[in-house]
Amino acid sequence: MRKLNIHQEAKKVSLEFQTRRHFLQQCRTGMGMLALGSMLDGCNYFGGDKENTGLLNANPLAAKASPLPGKAKSVIFLHMAGAPSQLEMFDYKPALQKMDGMDCPDSFLQGKKFAFIRGVPQLLGPQASFKQYGESGIWLSNHMPYFPSIVDDVSILKAVSTDQFNHAPAQLLMHCGTARLGRPSMGSWVTYGLGSENSNLPGFVVLTSGGRNPDAGKSVWGSGFLPSVYQGVQCRSEGDPVLFLKDPNGIDRDMRKASIEAINQVNQVAYQEFQDPEILSRISQYEMAFNMQIAVPDVMNITDEPEYIHRMYGTAPGKESFANNVLLARKLVEKGVRFVQLFDWGWDSHGTDPGTALDLGFVDKCRQNDQAVTALLMDLKQRGLLDETLVVWGGEFGRTPMQENRDGKQNVFKGRDHHSDAFCMWMAGGGIRKGFTYGETDEIGYHAVNGKVSVFDIQATILKQLGFDHTAFTYPFQGRNFRLTDVFGKVIEPVIA
Amino acid sequence: MPFQLKSPLFLSISLATILSLGYFLFIHQPKVDYNTEVKPILNQKCISCHGGVKKKAGFSLLFEEEALAPTESGKPAIIPGDAKNSEMIKRLYAKDLDERMPYHEEELTDQEKNILKRWVDQGAKFSTHWAYLPVQETTVPSGGFFSFFQKKDGNEIDRFIDQQLNNVRLQRSKEADKKTLLRRVALDLIGMPAPKHIQAAYLTDSSAQAYEKLVDSLLNLPAYGERWTAMWMDLARYADSKGYERDYIRSIWRYRDWLINSFNQDKSYDQFITEQLAGDLLPNPSDDQFLATAFHRNTMNNDEGGTDNEEFRTAAIIDRVNTTWETLLGTSFACVQCHSHPYDPFRHEEYYSFMAFFNNSRDEDTYDEYPLLREFRNNSVLQYDSVLNWLQTKANTSTNHFYKTFVKTGQQCINSLTADSLSNAALEDTKFLRMRKNAWARIRAVGLSDKQVLYIRYRMPVKYGKLDFYASSVDAKPFASVRIQQTKDGWQLMAIPMQHFFDGRKDIFIHFDSPLLKSNNDNGPVFDWFCFAPSFPGSNDPAFKTYFQTFTDLLNRPDAELTPIMMDNPSDLTRNTYVFERGNWLLKTKLVEANIPSIFNSQNKSYRNRLDLARWMTDKQNPLTARTMVNRLWEQLFGQGIVETLEDLGSQGASPTHQQLLDHLSYRFMHEDQWSIKKTLKRMVMSATYRQSSIVDKKTLEKDPLNKWYARAPRVRLSAEQIRDQALVICGAYSNKMFGPSVMPYQPEGIWASPYDGRTWEQSKGEDLYRRAIYTYWKRTGPYPTQINFDGTAREVCVSRRIRTNTPLQALNLLNDSTYWDLSLKFAKDILDKHPKNMDQGIVDAYETAVGKYPDPAKVKLLKNLYWTSFRTIQKNPEKSKALLTDSCINRTHELAAMAITANAILNLDEVITKN
Repeated sequence: MRKLNIHQEAKKVSLEFQTRRHFLQQCRTGMGMLALGSMLDGCNYFGGDKENTGLLNANPLAAKASPLPGKAKSVIFLHMAGAPSQLEMFDYKPALQKMDGMDCPDSFLQGKKFAFIRGVPQLLGPQASFKQYGESGIWLSNHMPYFPSIVDDVSILKAVSTDQFNHAPAQLLMHCGTARLGRPSMGSWVTYGLGSENSNLPGFVVLTSGGRNPDAGKSVWGSGFLPSVYQGVQCRSEGDPVLFLKDPNGIDRDMRKASIEAINQVNQVAYQEFQDPEILSRISQYEMAFNMQIAVPDVMNITDEPEYIHRMYGTAPGKESFANNVLLARKLVEKGVRFVQLFDWGWDSHGTDPGTALDLGFVDKCRQNDQAVTALLMDLKQRGLLDETLVVWGGEFGRTPMQENRDGKQNVFKGRDHHSDAFCMWMAGGGIRKGFTYGETDEIGYHAVNGKVSVFDIQATILKQLGFDHTAFTYPFQGRNFRLTDVFGKVIEPVIA
Repeated sequence: MPFQLKSPLFLSISLATILSLGYFLFIHQPKVDYNTEVKPILNQKCISCHGGVKKKAGFSLLFEEEALAPTESGKPAIIPGDAKNSEMIKRLYAKDLDERMPYHEEELTDQEKNILKRWVDQGAKFSTHWAYLPVQETTVPSGGFFSFFQKKDGNEIDRFIDQQLNNVRLQRSKEADKKTLLRRVALDLIGMPAPKHIQAAYLTDSSAQAYEKLVDSLLNLPAYGERWTAMWMDLARYADSKGYERDYIRSIWRYRDWLINSFNQDKSYDQFITEQLAGDLLPNPSDDQFLATAFHRNTMNNDEGGTDNEEFRTAAIIDRVNTTWETLLGTSFACVQCHSHPYDPFRHEEYYSFMAFFNNSRDEDTYDEYPLLREFRNNSVLQYDSVLNWLQTKANTSTNHFYKTFVKTGQQCINSLTADSLSNAALEDTKFLRMRKNAWARIRAVGLSDKQVLYIRYRMPVKYGKLDFYASSVDAKPFASVRIQQTKDGWQLMAIPMQHFFDGRKDIFIHFDSPLLKSNNDNGPVFDWFCFAPSFPGSNDPAFKTYFQTFTDLLNRPDAELTPIMMDNPSDLTRNTYVFERGNWLLKTKLVEANIPSIFNSQNKSYRNRLDLARWMTDKQNPLTARTMVNRLWEQLFGQGIVETLEDLGSQGASPTHQQLLDHLSYRFMHEDQWSIKKTLKRMVMSATYRQSSIVDKKTLEKDPLNKWYARAPRVRLSAEQIRDQALVICGAYSNKMFGPSVMPYQPEGIWASPYDGRTWEQSKGEDLYRRAIYTYWKRTGPYPTQINFDGTAREVCVSRRIRTNTPLQALNLLNDSTYWDLSLKFAKDILDKHPKNMDQGIVDAYETAVGKYPDPAKVKLLKNLYWTSFRTIQKNPEKSKALLTDSCINRTHELAAMAITANAILNLDEVITKN
């Protein structure tokens, strides 16, 4: 077992305390509002043992310093659920165009398993045109007319690989470091390690669009074996932004305040009786709940944003959309939220219907995506936030250079099957190199030929930018010290500025 | 007489004392205890390089024979009895940092070095961790010299507790008041407040037996079984859906009902787990025994298109191994999947020998989750009886057994998706075999001895087509041929007589063609399963046709409740189990036979199947089974286990706070109480330790902040289930309806986002809205929010210990969830009905109902204040009460609205959601 440094040890001890029994909130913070501070006779229930008291009183979500110096303070992870086609966005393959319609060479099929392709499929040329942009001369497809304006700010990874070719397991692998269920997600790890800068907002927020949750469900933002306080809080664009946030009809703020005050005061009397520190913790949680009722709807409301921002992002307040979520992501990191996870459903371009056709539905998806993510990077930049915000974009795997022939039959529309050997992702901000591409695939975009990186490498790099050594950032469970990257992962040094 | 300090006798005594003290301090080396002194140092400082995962320099400290064996240097690193010449000890003292161990880590302390040195000098004896040694009877501490002064209340448990309290100079608290105790024991034993009549009987009974009578009556309530089922559902990772991407519905609630009944019958724990692990292998298993095996059918099932069924079957088998160890044996075994256990004596290969117990199960991650137990309903019951009768009179024993099993469980059929060598055929959506024009498929190695008929379950989209079956080779004539017609409503069943009979196992080739299929892409038939069977008996009887028809109807479309169960493969389909190289299921290496880890099998007995496994686990010599369960029951009552890590009693788990007590209770559990859970619980709640007050003073809190020594009763927040169930009772809404399919109480919109089956949460009606939490529908990808907010697990895999948290989301949940608003309103109505004139009295009553005792005046004042503040606000703005109250035909709306706000506040009180 790797030895914990003092910092980690302290955190572990404090965490054990908090989760098992105490979970003490710093009891003086936030008391002013409800004028309860004076009713509590101090917080030092543990006598003179100062060191111990400090740990006991720690809020598990309080902002903590990273163990190593990190460039990024927060992360926005934009996950295109369903897996977008790299061959129509970033990975330009003129040779594939020439081979369009030819039978896929046997060497690519030997010993391979696909989700839907059976027998011998035909190669499918790029369904987009490409040009080079920016000073960096990065190739981009015509489906992304906005992206050229910020392409010199991003690092594109062209040879990402995974070992899962089904959505749910691949999404789990991307976010939890394993294709199976039960492990904490990246956002949970990060909030566990760094806490949150804003005590009135959750540290890890999840936003979904596209009408559906990702295939792997809520597990991709679950806390696994970490305490549940670190799980992602799904903020919804319709209904309560956070479950049960809204007071029942007829209860106004004053009434709510009166009732929380009464609850907390009765609890205070109970504390005098039982002397159980957990009661004080509960008092502060009720206060935080009251604060969240203001802070969350406030940050989730985009109607107050100026018109130029709406035009820039392509947002339309009042309905669920990817663009709205992207704008929200900016607002959330601005307010100190540590990890914002977006899932946009609808990228599974099999070509079984118009919505999943590469020349129809997929083009629409690209357009919606392009404007909003470009706006996000520009907006973060103009606010001086890009340097400390790491933005990551990608799907759970890529798509085959072959046209899908489901169950051995040619699909009606142009589509591609799931492909795990090589796909594209990009990263920007948070100390990532600007205007750079890393990795290369073969002439049809099937295999990586150099700069191949794994999903674990992406995770290791994200943790590195936040100030963690991914091999040392562990949590003990079932007799083992677990880490996000399991026993894998290598920081992708070339993309770090 | 005063002491004469200069007495020669005194001097010589002092001298002797000094000398002997000196001997003990400097010359005598006290015996080192391996488990408590040596093993912790090895685990912490050495084993990460010299243990299960890595064996640097060929040296491992995990097993005795490894530790004493020659290392890469050719010499052993430990020479028992000779620390000076043992490389391991020399390296601890080395000056050169490249030589010194632990390598490039902090040096061991002098004390640690000394322990290891003495250990080697004393012979380097390894001993087995306490949890892996059989449970022995322990002597109850007498209290020693001071026993006269000690309290002798309660029972034997208290003697163990007092002994350790003495050591830390703490004392147990006085007994909690009657009302507090009543609420506590009811929440613990039945998961909600006691029924009114039981409360009254206890509170008016001033006899010494009053409490014991209360405990007995609670243990006999049906609600008892529901409460303990709630605990077991986490262990069984129970859910009403299959998990993974598609997360379709699964009907497995009969297993939940089996649990409730088993707890209520106080089924002995050995029987309880034997039936869950191997009910199907018991002689003539009853429906109930089959149902029990659904325990291990709660594993997830992947319906996502394109997924490899074998991969997810393997994942399920692995989950069964890990769950068995974690829940029933309190051992974290999962790490042995990839390498030998880094800290405990389990070898990599032993994981797979253990997996072999489960690997022969029939389930194959199929869409319908075969095998399924059919519990017939209505007319089908009669049909089933008549078929059984027919078989009884007409068939020989083996045919009778074959058909009985076939009707009851649908086995032994071959799932169509095991077909391979497909030609113009496909395993559609990786669920069923689909054949098209001139299509071929193969099923490998089918046992054909004594088989005369082939049953198929299929759907056919075109008018007609021809189906041929060949054995071994397609060159011979088909042994069965049939023309199949278009099917109308779903699956059809057909019996095809075989023209030739065979012995042994043969590959079967299936061919389909139809002239009506124009192109290669046109769809032909799709198959669910194939079954080779002996002939249905009694063919020369005139009634044959009728009975055969009844049989096929029953088989194809039973009016029955279907529940996934465990069954093993028949002998001709037995699966081999291999060691997976570093846990990778695609890298199969050595073939292994079923066995338990060798540390538990010194006599090298043979254990072949799950029933043997269950017999080992329920043997009174098994060191883990009783301890694990007793520790779990203790945790449920006392808020923390005697070993805090319920999931791991091994050397990496927490040390037990009261190991002797754990052994004492485990021994009683097996030997005296014959594995009775009720008796064990009764023992625990009858102890004075359980019955003491939870009020703590500053001194005790300082000395024992975590309440490890039980100088007070623990105060812990209620579980998600207890919070809901209690609120239902307090507010007078509780429905005592038991059993049946899961229900859907209030849930906010948008929790279920089912990408595939489009299923929605359809709110239940009537009393189903107000049933206990265990009946709430559990969808893995969208679990019930209250359950998750209050630390429930997602039930994807087994998490055997919930870690309690205290978060603002919990506050929001109880303040604003419409479940709790609805209940608050009901509560308020009750209070107003009872106290139409006197609001203040109503508030006192409400508090008393919720907390179970009369409130302190300061609390009453605060709650009254809330009521009147709310009342005045509403009076000024009457629109508010309209919004608050959904039911418009109620009078006195202002009072009701204000009382509902107050009632809601009461439901949120710490005292209400905490066990006091």
